[in-house]
Amino acid sequence: MSSKPFQNSLGLLPLRAVRVEKLRSPVEKHHLRSTGSRRATPLWYALWLPQLSQQSALDGEQQARLEQVATSLGTLSATVSIKTPDSFLFEVGSTLRYFGGIEKIRLRLHALLEPLLDSWDLPRHFHEAVSPTPTASLLLARAACNLLVYRKENLRAALGRLPLHTLSLPERKKRQFHNSGLYILRDIWRLPSHAVAQRFGRAFIKQLEQCLGHVASPVQAYQHAPIFCSDLECAYAIENKQALLPGVETLLERLCLFLHTRELAAMHLHLAFVHEQQGPTEIEVMLRQASRSPAHLQLLLETRINALALPAAVITMRLRVSQFAPFTAHNTTLKGVPVTQDGDAGLNDLLPLLEQLQARLGIPAVRSIHCQDQHCPEQAGLDKPFGEPVSRVTTQPVNTAKVVERPCWLLPKPTPLRQEQGRLYYHSSLRLLSGPERIETHWWTPQEIQRDYYVACNRQGMRLWIFHQRKTPSQHEARAWFLHGIFG
Amino acid sequence: MPISDPNQSLRALLDSPNLWRGSEHYLAATTQASGHYPGLPTGFAALDASLPWQGWPANALVEIITPLWGTGELQLVLPLLRRISSAGKSALWFSPPCIPYAPALASAGVDIARMIIVTPAATEVLWAIEKALQSKACALVLAWPGHLSGKHIRRLQLAAITGQTLGILFHHRNIRHSASVLRLSAQAEEDAMRLTVLKARGSYRHDRIRIPWGSHE
Repeated sequence: MSSKPFQNSLGLLPLRAVRVEKLRSPVEKHHLRSTGSRRATPLWYALWLPQLSQQSALDGEQQARLEQVATSLGTLSATVSIKTPDSFLFEVGSTLRYFGGIEKIRLRLHALLEPLLDSWDLPRHFHEAVSPTPTASLLLARAACNLLVYRKENLRAALGRLPLHTLSLPERKKRQFHNSGLYILRDIWRLPSHAVAQRFGRAFIKQLEQCLGHVASPVQAYQHAPIFCSDLECAYAIENKQALLPGVETLLERLCLFLHTRELAAMHLHLAFVHEQQGPTEIEVMLRQASRSPAHLQLLLETRINALALPAAVITMRLRVSQFAPFTAHNTTLKGVPVTQDGDAGLNDLLPLLEQLQARLGIPAVRSIHCQDQHCPEQAGLDKPFGEPVSRVTTQPVNTAKVVERPCWLLPKPTPLRQEQGRLYYHSSLRLLSGPERIETHWWTPQEIQRDYYVACNRQGMRLWIFHQRKTPSQHEARAWFLHGIFG
Repeated sequence: MPISDPNQSLRALLDSPNLWRGSEHYLAATTQASGHYPGLPTGFAALDASLPWQGWPANALVEIITPLWGTGELQLVLPLLRRISSAGKSALWFSPPCIPYAPALASAGVDIARMIIVTPAATEVLWAIEKALQSKACALVLAWPGHLSGKHIRRLQLAAITGQTLGILFHHRNIRHSASVLRLSAQAEEDAMRLTVLKARGSYRHDRIRIPWGSHE
C-alpha cells in the first residue's frame, strides 16, 4: 500500500496551486537579482516510520536499519539526519530543481524505501511531511499529517490544527494544557505570547519558535561510518606465502595512512586472497586494543599467514576494515618508558605478544585467572579469556584462604577416590595430614555442598586436597570420598 | 718491545665468558660481580648454595623432571613467582595440567593479575613457548610441553637467550645431552622434597638437596 499524495498547507488547494504560492512578486524578484541572493530556501523533508521502533528487533539490528535508511536517503540529499527511534529528516530545498520538483523526489523516495521495508518484512506505509523548518516537518510527520508547506508564512496555519499532545512535552505539562482547555496549537496562538511564556515556560516557547522558523533549530547530519577497502593486484600469480608479505605490507601502509588522516585505529582486519578458479582464502584478525602501528599489524597478519595453507596461487589481495576506534596515544615519560595505568596492571608491554598468541591460537586459548568472594571452592577461582571483563572479582585473597591452605591445582571436577579395606587410594594409600575443614554452602540450590575437606598425602609424596561428602544423593549410597585438588 | 703483564692477560682470559672452567662454581661470587651469570634467588637457601648462579639462572632454560605431576614442582617455583610478580613482571603458563587455582596463588602472595595461562593445541605448544621466550616483555615462562626432544630444547634455549627470559620446562623424562642450562630432578617425600642437580652449566657438582615442606623464605 502506498501512502496518500501530499495535501498542501491548507488541505484544499491542489499541489500545482501550492507551487504558484512560491512565486514571488516582480519587485521581490528584482530585489533578489540585484542583491545576488540566489540561495534556495531550505525545505526539510521528514519521514516517520513507526514500524521501525514497534517491531521487536534487537537494538543493534534496529540501529543498523536506521543507518541503512539514512544511507539510502543520501542519494536524495546532502544533509540527512536520524531522529531516533524511528524518524528521519533530510534537506530537499537545494536539490528541488535537480530532481524536478517535490513530487519527483517523493516518487524516488518511495522507490527507495519500499524495497527496503519489504526486505525486512515490515509494512510499506509511512508518514511524511515537508516544511521550511526541521522541527515543524518532524512534528507534522509524527502527527501523520502528510502535509507540504512551502513558505514560512503558512506554517502557522498548517500547524494550528495539531493537537498539543503531539509536541514533545513532559506528561505534567500536557495535563496542564488539557486542564486549561488548550487542545490544539491554535489555542496557544490565540493567547498573548508573554502570558504563554509565563505560564508554560521558556522551553515550550522555544519549541514553538523553532517550529515557525523564528529561532534556528540545528540538525545533526548523519555521517556514515568509515570503511577501508583496498585491493592489490599481484604482478604474477603468487604461490609462495613469503612472497605475499611485501604485498600485505603495501596494503597496511595504505591502511595506516587512511587511519592517520582520520585519527582512527583499526579494531578488526579482514584480509582475503583471491584465487583464479575458486573462492578466496580469508583471514580475520580481531585486535585486543585498537592499533594503527604498521609493524604490529604486519606481525599479526604474518603470524596468521604462516599458519595458512594456500589452496591455489593468489592473484589479488584485498584488505577490508570496517571496525574502528578513535585513536588514543599512550602516554610515555621523557625516557620513553610507558606510563602504566592503575588497574591495567602494566600489562601494556605484554599485549603485542598476547595478541600474537591469540591471533594464532584463538582468543579463548589465552586466559587470565581471578578470585571471587565465594565459599564454594569451584567458584572461588575462575579463569576467563584474557581481556574479557569479569564482574565481582577480588584480586586479594579471600579471608579464609589466608588461614587455611588451598591447592595450586584444582581439578575441574572432583574425582571419586578408590577405597580398599577402609583405606583410600590415589596411586598409593593415603594418609590424612590435617583437617577436617567443613564447607557448607549453596543450600538454596539443588547442588547443595556439604563437605569435609582434608589434606592427605600418598607414598609418592603428593599432597592432595580431598573431601568427604556429608550428604549423599540417595540414602542407600555410601558417603563418598573425592579428590578435589593437588598442592603441586 | 713492551712485555704485557702476564697477570693481566690471564685475567682477561679468565673473564672471557667463552672459557669454561670446571671449578667455576667456586668462583661464582666473582663472576656474578662481573655480570656474566646473573641469578634469581630460588627462595630456598640450600638450593641457592648448590647452584653456580646462587639461584635460578636468568635468561636461560631450566628443566624440572618429576615422576608425576603435583609432586612439589609448583612449590619450588612459588617464591620465584612471588618475586617476579611483585617486581611488576609477568609470567606465562603454557599447557599446565590443570588451570592454576587463583585463591591458592593469591594466598601465597603471587599477584594473579600478572599470571597469564595459555592453552594451545598440542601441535602449537612449542611454537607458542618459543614466541614467549623470545619476547622481552615476558619475564618467566612455565611450560608443560609434553613430548620434547633434544632439538626442541636447544631451540628453546636459544629463544630464552634472545628474549632474556627464564624458561622452566616441566616434564617426566630425563633427556640426556639436553642443551638446557640447569636440569633438576624433583622427588617428593612425605615431609620434604628431594632435589638432584643432574646438570648445571659451569659446575660439576651433582648435589642432592632435601627441602622440607614450607621451608622457603
